[in-house]
Amino acid sequence: MRLSADAKHELAAQYVLGTLDGPARKRFEFEVMQDDQVRRSVWYWEQQLNQLGENVKPLTPERRVWLAIQQRLFGTPAVSSGAPVQNNVVTLQPKQSGWWKGVAALASAAAVVLAVLLGRVEPPVPAPQYTEIAFFQDAEQSPLWLLELSDDTLSIRATERLTAKANKDYELWIVAKDGRAPISLGLLPKNGQLTLAKDKYFDELDIAVLAVSLEPLGGSPNGSPTEVLYTSEIITL
Amino acid sequence: MFDSDPNLVMLRRVAKKDSTSFEQLYSATSGILFSVAMKMLQNKDLAEEVLQETYVQIWHSASEYQTGRGKVLTWMVSILRYRVLDLIRYNKVRKNEADATSSEDIALEDDNEFLQLNEKELLSRCLGELEGEQHQAIFLAYFKGMSHGEVTTHMDKPLGTIKAWIRRGLQSLQRCLSA
Repeated sequence: MRLSADAKHELAAQYVLGTLDGPARKRFEFEVMQDDQVRRSVWYWEQQLNQLGENVKPLTPERRVWLAIQQRLFGTPAVSSGAPVQNNVVTLQPKQSGWWKGVAALASAAAVVLAVLLGRVEPPVPAPQYTEIAFFQDAEQSPLWLLELSDDTLSIRATERLTAKANKDYELWIVAKDGRAPISLGLLPKNGQLTLAKDKYFDELDIAVLAVSLEPLGGSPNGSPTEVLYTSEIITL
Repeated sequence: MFDSDPNLVMLRRVAKKDSTSFEQLYSATSGILFSVAMKMLQNKDLAEEVLQETYVQIWHSASEYQTGRGKVLTWMVSILRYRVLDLIRYNKVRKNEADATSSEDIALEDDNEFLQLNEKELLSRCLGELEGEQHQAIFLAYFKGMSHGEVTTHMDKPLGTIKAWIRRGLQSLQRCLSA
């Protein structure tokens, strides 16, 4: 996004207000992840505009909302300090078509709030003209890997939020909409950036989501994902 | 700068997974957040759902908060509003009630909202300096979560006019806020 600082600041205002919409909103979210100045513009406008929200007349929600929150976080309405929280590990069932839909919806919903939660992300390196992006987030919606697709490359960047297990590998998969078995794209980097030739399947298949699985060192032992951890839709810029 | 923020101590404890402080933070802030969600969605079930998602996220993300983000409540309202906007835009949840609300109702509601702002606050003064149409268009976008197109329909003006009102309104706000 080659825009002046003023233009980016203005987009930040529209983003916070909510009038930046559609693909432009998605593109801007990606910009927020990469550009510290843009992120600070968003923070500035959040602080200004959201004073409006802070000053509304309070409306007490029903007790059931709090009980539901407790149930989700602690597994029981009775709060106890240090209670374990749910994780969002998804067990893949390859033969069950459509399993990805719910996960993809969650990923989509989470993507929008990603921008406000980001801390520092490494600055971008000079890159080809990317046309599509994807990102995988953990349960706290922190980005772990950022994927950028150009016409002929797939660039994968592990963020500093990733705490990779030394005795495991992480494998990237294409999940096609036609229900075929997930297709491996190889292992994800545990740090730094990796650029690969873009796989032909990106152009040949109607892709539902990309998925990351947790695998023994060296990758899946049987050609199928062992334990799917994260999914992401591909976002066209 | 934010040492006087009453929610900051609670949030810091929440970051350490103190569930008692989390409940206190919920008690202190959920009325505001639920009110914002209700205004934007005008649907109790959806507002409750978003409120629940927001607090789950706050529990997970409390350690991410930095004072550079503004007051804790500002940060929480931000999280909530992005979730509501997500629900409206990407999941095509759109309340029809807002479209049926007359301009007069909106104007009246805007005035009521405006009265809630502390008159000493800079934002209050700066909003007061906006032209009427700019003011209303920004309020519709903020409190109703309306897109440019929806504001256009609601105010019965061309899209270009609405975009210009909002753009100029935000520019005026920034000039006033940074003066």
